[in-house]
Amino acid sequence: MYRGLASDLAPLAVALPIVMACAVLVVQRWASRRLADLLAMVAAVAALGLSAALVAATKDGRVVTWSGGWEPRDGRSVGIVLVVDQLSAGFACLAAGLTCCALLYSWRYLEAAHGHYHALMLLFLAGMIGFVLTGDLFNMFVFFELMGVSAFALTGLHIEEPDSVQGSLNFALINSLGAYLSLMGIGLLYARTGQLGFAQLGAKLAGHPADGLIVGAFVLVTIGFLVKAAMAPMHFWLADAHAVAPTPVCVLMSGVMVEMGVYALARVYLTVFATSIPAPVVQRAFLTMGLLTAAVGSLMCFAQRHLKRLLAYSTIAHVGLFLIGFALLSPDGLAGVALYVVGHAGVKGALFLLVGLLLDRFQSLDEGKLFGRVGGRHPACWMFLLAALALAGLPPSGPGLGKAITEEAASAAGYPWLSVVFVLVSAVTGAAVLRAGLRVFLGRGHRPGPIEPAHQIGAEPKEPETEHPLRRTPLTMLVAIGALLAGSIVVGVVPALAQAVGRGAVFFSDQAGYFNQALFAVPAAPAPASAAWWSWSGILLGAASTVLAMIIAGISLHVRPPERGHFRSRMIAGVELVRRLHSGHIGDYVAWLLFGAAVLAALIGLPLLP
Amino acid sequence: MSRRARLLVFGLGAAGLAVMFAFAVAGMPPFGTSEHLYRDLAVPAALQHRTANVVSSVNFDQRALDTLGEEVILLSSVIGTAALLRPTRGEVRRPTTRGGHVSDSTTLVSYLLLPVTVLIGLDVVAHGHLTPGGGFQGGVVLATAVHLLYLAGRYESLERLRPLTWYVWTEGLSAASFAVIGLVGLAQGSGFLANVAPLGSFQSLLSAGTVPILNVVTGAAVAGGGVVLLAQFFGQAIGTTRPPTRRSTS
Repeated sequence: MYRGLASDLAPLAVALPIVMACAVLVVQRWASRRLADLLAMVAAVAALGLSAALVAATKDGRVVTWSGGWEPRDGRSVGIVLVVDQLSAGFACLAAGLTCCALLYSWRYLEAAHGHYHALMLLFLAGMIGFVLTGDLFNMFVFFELMGVSAFALTGLHIEEPDSVQGSLNFALINSLGAYLSLMGIGLLYARTGQLGFAQLGAKLAGHPADGLIVGAFVLVTIGFLVKAAMAPMHFWLADAHAVAPTPVCVLMSGVMVEMGVYALARVYLTVFATSIPAPVVQRAFLTMGLLTAAVGSLMCFAQRHLKRLLAYSTIAHVGLFLIGFALLSPDGLAGVALYVVGHAGVKGALFLLVGLLLDRFQSLDEGKLFGRVGGRHPACWMFLLAALALAGLPPSGPGLGKAITEEAASAAGYPWLSVVFVLVSAVTGAAVLRAGLRVFLGRGHRPGPIEPAHQIGAEPKEPETEHPLRRTPLTMLVAIGALLAGSIVVGVVPALAQAVGRGAVFFSDQAGYFNQALFAVPAAPAPASAAWWSWSGILLGAASTVLAMIIAGISLHVRPPERGHFRSRMIAGVELVRRLHSGHIGDYVAWLLFGAAVLAALIGLPLLP
Repeated sequence: MSRRARLLVFGLGAAGLAVMFAFAVAGMPPFGTSEHLYRDLAVPAALQHRTANVVSSVNFDQRALDTLGEEVILLSSVIGTAALLRPTRGEVRRPTTRGGHVSDSTTLVSYLLLPVTVLIGLDVVAHGHLTPGGGFQGGVVLATAVHLLYLAGRYESLERLRPLTWYVWTEGLSAASFAVIGLVGLAQGSGFLANVAPLGSFQSLLSAGTVPILNVVTGAAVAGGGVVLLAQFFGQAIGTTRPPTRRSTS
């Protein structure tokens, strides 16, 4: 049965980067670096085009593709289904777009490890695209592993520095542990239902009150995704990995890979477990975990002076906000989070690339060592400060819009106080970045002292990522940064985008519609026009968090370290305690992972005990 | 964290998870019942495509997309390992040493087993759609066969008989062919990774359509990948060394 072009798009978007990665692998022995760059870029652009076509094709519903032509009979099939709605297609677009920018940044300059870099980047992209397009739990796990494996290798690419391998190892071990737990959860579900597709699983579990197996399966399956999403206390690997990963890889990890954990959580809960595990229980559990994650992330972000670590912790803080947005369990909340994710990806990607420029020119990532060295004339200066303000939620930037819509959804769900959390978290993380920018580029405030001896993974990179230290900034790098920033602003300025995301979120949370369209090819009911756009309160709250960020940054620039025994010194000792938990010791991380999983199990399981 | 604190946190977490897991396992269906939804769907589907080995039908026909993903995971790990174990600036090739003693019986057995192992590998790959086995298993056997050379003699003889580039190409091209075979189905309008080849007659060598083709492709990819993977570790452990630094000589 041939369903026309639209249903071909999804498998093409997965297969194309794979084939091109193999092509790069085969030609890299004798071809020049430039050909590898070109092939990888062509593949990424083509994947972006296919994903964009999928966004257009899912305007009025979902695009359903049964692989192998195993179309269901009476709602049953042995095959794997890809079910694409506007949010998943949008995520694929984001992944492909960020890959384009990352490849543009590394064009000709970045040391490429004999073309392995390009092949791995394309396989990473294929993994991410497959992960969001699939409608099958086990298939999702396969692509989860693919993006994991390629990301582990990419993170450790600078093998000359031992820390790089250490950070990559922490990343690989913790994420693999999470993945094994996920696999156990999938096994439990399969034992009960004999099915693996989201729609079939949801139909099988519908009407069953949550028992031990369902709760256990939900917790185990989501742990892998939550480790990837860096939910506290399973977030420790993220900063280590970001501190050592090549800069373009940081862009992909912070911008889209981590957020895919939240995507998978939402997808799995809304399609499989929504009818058996009551919404209030899930809401309370993930509000709690989200608040914890946001608090730890903001605190650690502000306490950093290693620029990549600072940005990594800001990502953790924002993941906390995304988890809170998911916990609202409303289409508006999801739409807000989706816009926030896109806006955040652009800003965070640009910031990472700017920091990468500093590393390539000055061979340092430390706020103190870079103090005042760059100068305010460089275009990077103004891009960095603008990105810091956008991260704080400056209207009309993308993060600001996402934040505003999520805040309104929170008020509508009965949690108006969450606006305070959103404002505080974006102000503190924005302030940390702003402080770093003002110090590094403009030499404001006092110079931070020398680095304390306590060793952190990736604390002192010795070499630039390019083959030689850069004397001036290549145009390709600046264009990549500009494109990311512009993309982030566009999200907050073009109403059509927000409306599309709003409609997509309605489809995303419609379990019955998902089931009917995936298994019985029932066309989706048209979604109502979305009202997701700036409101006055949103603009005011965005302005408030921006001003607050400036105030905090200003204070932190001009305040000297306190005397011993002073109130502030005791506060710093408190921060120091949290900081010491981030030890780089893999045993600690494993212990916290299990502890976090147990806490989540308690939060969801205990209220459901008969 | 101190050792004690770590153990405490770990113990609390593990205990909590164990309780949850006990509840979950208690909810499992009893072992050995005749009720199994997926089996009831998968066996007729395998017969419909004239595939005698139902497991192969699930792997290479019904859920071939998973297998494509798994093969690409292998490809990704091999590339990743090659990237992480590449010689760094500080490392140089170790000068060839004659040394190490291999007993004649080991050499003899290795040489005798080499052709046998290759044949078994090829057999396991070729009959993957009929009997237990298939591309993944056969590929591992084939990769093992090449390394009998290492057992039989010196590392250099393995190196000479192993043009690594070829294996990299084999691996890359066969992984790509898996995806391309999938795209052929798409181009014919039957769906990505559809079983579009002629199905043949049940239980004969030429049956099951694309299943044996994908088995061969996977076997080549796994064999190539295995060789390249082991070569990286060999190269790191045997083939290279760090020139002595001033500290280690003093």
